[in-house]
Amino acid sequence: MASATKAATRPLLRASLSSSPANGHVAFIPQVRKVVIEYCDSWASSANTRTFVHNHLENVARANPHVEFVVKQRTHKEPIARGFYLNNRDKVVPLHGFEVNGIANKIQLILDSSGAKIKPLKRRTVESTTESARGIWSGLHVDEPFKI
Amino acid sequence: MAAFLRPSSLRVAARALHTHPVSPSNPASALSLIASHPSQYVVASVAGRKYLLAPRDLLTVPRLNDVKVGDVLALSDIHEVGSREFTLRGNPTIPPDAVKVEATVVEHTKGAMEVIFKKKRRKGYQKTIKHKQTYTRLRIGPIEPVEPPHQS
Repeated sequence: MASATKAATRPLLRASLSSSPANGHVAFIPQVRKVVIEYCDSWASSANTRTFVHNHLENVARANPHVEFVVKQRTHKEPIARGFYLNNRDKVVPLHGFEVNGIANKIQLILDSSGAKIKPLKRRTVESTTESARGIWSGLHVDEPFKI
Repeated sequence: MAAFLRPSSLRVAARALHTHPVSPSNPASALSLIASHPSQYVVASVAGRKYLLAPRDLLTVPRLNDVKVGDVLALSDIHEVGSREFTLRGNPTIPPDAVKVEATVVEHTKGAMEVIFKKKRRKGYQKTIKHKQTYTRLRIGPIEPVEPPHQS
């Protein structure tokens, strides 16, 4: 009985065929999909938000055609802005106590963000999913084997 | 017996791994040698700091205020391009008409909240500062050797 010969090729594991996400590598998809601005029609804390919605919101919406802007009533409450992202997370930013340009900055903060959770970024300079091109150093594969 | 055999097998492995040294004549042929390998890396200066970058990396740098989300930046200071066995080093940088690497601005974020507490004892001076550092995240694109223009 001849023993079964070993296959010449390595088996292709299906987990190796999946791709890891790299938004922006070749194509960039903006991560923010909707911004909802909620304010009260009567309270004074929403006065600056009302001014922003009446004067500036249209220009911001025209400059960001990929985002859906919604204006909603939030009676007898402080004004907020909610941003909804493609990773199913949302960012809620209170607009209470800001001037009109401060409110514009907060809306821009929501538009610039990717929806990822805020994490410490001081030490996370390069986040890579690819192995190094030159490989990992081995003490056995040098001219003189490395002696500990 | 095994101890007697082991050193010779190690030496054989070391010899088999060393290829003959190759020194290409011009940067274009060097780049084509580098591109023939499956993966490449680039050492580039971004915002005043040098980083070792590969395609599909996410690079976090201090906030770049002149740039919007979605903009594509070309890395101008590339010091080194390399692959597994070959490296091309610039003097001090490789000119942009040889290699092109682009980075897309993915987001402008802030880091986690840092609470800084200052106190001078017995002087009645203490204060708490809350701070979030601003960052820009860039996605590195593919490393492309620029083809020299054909002379007709």
